[in-house]
Amino acid sequence: MTYSNDQKALIMLSTLEGYNLRRKRFESVDRPCELYDDYTVADNMIAKMEKSGVKVITIIDEDYPESLKEIYDPPYTLYYQGDKSLLCSKDLLAVVGTRRVSAYGKNIMQNFAPAFIRSGFKIISGLARGVDSIGHKISLENNSPTVAVVANGLDICYPPENADMQRRIAQTGLVISEYPMGAKPLQFHFPERNRIISALSQGVFIPEAGDRSGSLITADYAIEQGRELFVVLGSIFSQQSVGCNKKIRELQAIITLTPEDVIDVLGKTVRKNDAKIIQLDFASQAIIDILKDGALHFDEILQKSSMNIADLSGILTQLEILGLIRKLQGNNFEIIPLI
Amino acid sequence: MLAKTKSYALNGVEGYEVAIEVDLNAGLPAYDTVGLADTAIKESKERVRSAIKNSLFTYPIRKITINLAPADTKKEGSHFDLAIALGILIANEEIESDSYKDYIILGELSLDGSINSIRGVMPLIISAIQNGHSKFIIPSKNAKEASYISGIEVYAFDKLAQVVDFLTGKNEVQPLKTSEFVSIANSNKYSVDFSEVKGQYVAKRALEIAVAGGHNVLMIGPPGAGKTMMAKCVPTIMPDMTFEEAIEVTKIHSVAGILDDSVGIVVNRPFRTPHHTATVPALMGGGANARPGEISLAHNGVLFLDEMPEYQRRTLETLRQPLEDGTAVVSRAKRTLEYPARFMLVASMNPCPCGNLGSKTQQCKCTPSEIHRYISKLSGPLLDRIDLQIEVDSISYDDFRSSVPNESSEAVKSRVEKARAIQRKRYAGSKTKTNDEMTNAQVKTYCALDKTGESLLKNAFTKLNLTARASTRVLKVARTIADLDASENILSKHVAEAIQYRSLDRKYWD
Repeated sequence: MTYSNDQKALIMLSTLEGYNLRRKRFESVDRPCELYDDYTVADNMIAKMEKSGVKVITIIDEDYPESLKEIYDPPYTLYYQGDKSLLCSKDLLAVVGTRRVSAYGKNIMQNFAPAFIRSGFKIISGLARGVDSIGHKISLENNSPTVAVVANGLDICYPPENADMQRRIAQTGLVISEYPMGAKPLQFHFPERNRIISALSQGVFIPEAGDRSGSLITADYAIEQGRELFVVLGSIFSQQSVGCNKKIRELQAIITLTPEDVIDVLGKTVRKNDAKIIQLDFASQAIIDILKDGALHFDEILQKSSMNIADLSGILTQLEILGLIRKLQGNNFEIIPLI
Repeated sequence: MLAKTKSYALNGVEGYEVAIEVDLNAGLPAYDTVGLADTAIKESKERVRSAIKNSLFTYPIRKITINLAPADTKKEGSHFDLAIALGILIANEEIESDSYKDYIILGELSLDGSINSIRGVMPLIISAIQNGHSKFIIPSKNAKEASYISGIEVYAFDKLAQVVDFLTGKNEVQPLKTSEFVSIANSNKYSVDFSEVKGQYVAKRALEIAVAGGHNVLMIGPPGAGKTMMAKCVPTIMPDMTFEEAIEVTKIHSVAGILDDSVGIVVNRPFRTPHHTATVPALMGGGANARPGEISLAHNGVLFLDEMPEYQRRTLETLRQPLEDGTAVVSRAKRTLEYPARFMLVASMNPCPCGNLGSKTQQCKCTPSEIHRYISKLSGPLLDRIDLQIEVDSISYDDFRSSVPNESSEAVKSRVEKARAIQRKRYAGSKTKTNDEMTNAQVKTYCALDKTGESLLKNAFTKLNLTARASTRVLKVARTIADLDASENILSKHVAEAIQYRSLDRKYWD
């Protein structure tokens, strides 16, 4: 692939740290090619990119997404791996949140994310630990293309444990970054990349966010950029929900009770999971009845059901396979709520 | 005159004959030991001289040369003292009888001429028997240990003078009477019992399955959930040791010098709990004299690793090979030893560094990366050797009116023994003893599933996110559950239960 001098100039511009600095340089000239005389740096960079299969779209290109051009501070370059048509997709839903996700947050994700995907949304997020990773993971499991916006050069994986996930997303979806090859995940990159997540999406959904969660910055961007903001209420005592609850008051975010709330507002049709009618035998029904009041430990179920351990283990496994209950950490079991 | 007495030395748990040659020469009085003797043997000079003098014999004022043959093997220990002293007395013509030539002589001397106990009597005697020896002179403090071996003549003595009287025929001494193993084996002396563990029904069931099939087990749970207590109960539900097993264990414990002299044989299955700061040599065996490590001391018993992720990764990884083939190979500069190490591994760990992950009452304070780091200390290949992984929680059992009885260890043990009997019958003629040791070919033959079982397993893998490596493990455990159920075939309910014991395979730890 060959690049024009304008594009090369923008690639070189992206190696400058700090958005304001880049902006000042960018706006000081009529055409980017006036910025530099010597393009060896850009040529080296392009050689490096080609080696790792990374491509670039610049702000002067035709396929640069409109949704990004509209915002106050659009990135001048977007390095990417994967399917670039996703950039202009009108089905992107940002799912972001805390890195320290609680059982509540996991639960929300397990119920909401598949519903979003069924209704045709593609999840865009930041590949961070916690909510972001779960969103990407559920997308991959459901064979839905997903977009990851990272805060470092695409030759680096952060967090390292998501390296495999990043590779898989690049195969079926899209991984993008405004930072050039070799750029480290510096602290101030993260709030900067959040503006891209919200800008590319139709709406931002936050299942759980603590008081100082980075996803709250994404929430602010969403309002600023005119995107819808969906937030799930949490307990007022839960550290991981403080941010969500605050945003409801401050930004009048849409309180989300079911996935339909999001799907309806963004104009998609709700597609329910094909409900199966499952005929349970007497013993299995008894276990379901016992679990109706909430999660219980194996030994508690044992006490209440007065079965023997061998039979109960078998029935619990069967119910798990049928998708009616699930095992939680600590050998607890609960009914999977049907939302 | 030249005298030649016979003694025995140990290399690991195997012994070899050492001929002790004593020669008295003309020259300035001296005492030289040759034949790669260690410091303990060289120091025997002082013990032997005083012991001879204090037993009222004459110590020769000559140049004494002592050779330990074979001369090119390093020898260690203090148990040659008695043989050396007798050699000197014979060379000095204090003993004028050839009867000593029949005996293997073992014992350490005290300055006053009494005979002290030594390490490794049982393995020494057993090796000597295998090489055709049948008469032994040993310290009477080790008499108990030797008395469990039948078909030989063992004479135990307290003092050097008594040995001399015996060899010169001045005093008649009867050989030791053989002790009955069965009589002490049945006196169970465990200090804990399964009935003392309140609740924890599923964990107890898992341990029963683990013992019945010889599977290794990992307990995951917050501090105070009762993991250690339950682990201590594991030996109480294991089948009684056979005489052969007891001998194997006693040999190792005797070499390590931790045998109880008053009993003389290990009756209870060993329960070893090395601390998590244990080094590789402490666990595997080693050190200057290549002593057996904790895993060998746990042979035929239980090795309990409390807080498993706290152990050094390197230390844990060394367990892989012994878990596979049941032996610990200790390589030192001059030799390589092999100690048996067929043990049941019982390990415990917290679900996360703070211990509260998944708890209903406490909030976990760990970050995901901390949890990830904690869990990943246990490598995949090591976890592969642990068939059952169960979660133990500290829930309050007070409000339960118990419908499940709190069984005693005895009751559980009888079920375990039945399941073991089925396995013995099934694997008769092969090297395999328990379901855990099944080879891949045996898994194929003995763990065939019917159609419903097959589809259940397949569904479990896709729906429950079980990792692929769990498959064989689940089948082996299902085989044991079927054995406990006295069922010829593995039914789908056995598979279903086995799946519940694969906690770490569930990907909710991510």
